[in-house]
Amino acid sequence: MSAAHHSTFVVERELPTGPKHAFRFWSDPEMKQRWNACHPDWTVLEDVFEFHVGGTEARRWRTLEGHEQTFAARYFDIEPQRRIIYAFEMSFGGTRQSVSLATVEFQPAGAKTLMLYTEQLAFLGSAEDRHQRVVGTGSGFDRLVEVIASQIGLEAG
Amino acid sequence: MTGTGERKLDDIFTALADPGRRGMVDRLSVGPATVKELAEPAGMGLPSALKHLRVLEKGGIVVSTKAGRTRTYRIDPAAFGAINAWVRQRETAMNAAFDRLVLAIAENPEGEDGA
Repeated sequence: MSAAHHSTFVVERELPTGPKHAFRFWSDPEMKQRWNACHPDWTVLEDVFEFHVGGTEARRWRTLEGHEQTFAARYFDIEPQRRIIYAFEMSFGGTRQSVSLATVEFQPAGAKTLMLYTEQLAFLGSAEDRHQRVVGTGSGFDRLVEVIASQIGLEAG
Repeated sequence: MTGTGERKLDDIFTALADPGRRGMVDRLSVGPATVKELAEPAGMGLPSALKHLRVLEKGGIVVSTKAGRTRTYRIDPAAFGAINAWVRQRETAMNAAFDRLVLAIAENPEGEDGA
């Protein structure tokens, strides 16, 4: 068993609408699907969306290579137009890769909304599991170059 | 950048300055391997391979474990940034998702359905 590694990242976005409308793109299943759905080439095996405190959001796919990829979340805090807090796990091929706590905050900024997404994650995957997901498309060496670039970026920052 | 950070980068670049060592890293990114498994495709003798692997280990790129008489090398998930790679992947995924969100908002403006 390997140790968990922890990290946090923040993504900040200005959304071209007010918080009330912006929030609906997170709360309404159909509106969320308009931006949250990725990988149209994957087969959807399960799709649950319960947007309320204690509710579950779960998606399960089969990738083109035949691996099963899952996302399973639980909503812990919902304050309409202001904040959403949920925790989720991501698994690949039956192995849990990471568990995260995500906080989404909406701040009015004139006619727009400043959205802050903070993800605190515990990374669990082993080097081998990671290879399947992270390298996936490129050669190991491509990944190496990327990782070095990111490391330089992190240390210079 | 801190002195420690600079030293670390020096070690990383030294480690990767050699094509034979880069080949080993490429091989290890697929999964763990023994010294013998790394030496053979590189056309190296065991002592030479071991020397290169020690440089990679000093650079924080690989780690090794010994079971019996066999030493196995693998990419160091902590020091060499498995977590960084994963976090970067998560960040990239979320940024792409939020690009789509901005687009979706533009395509579905407020008021059309009374929202």
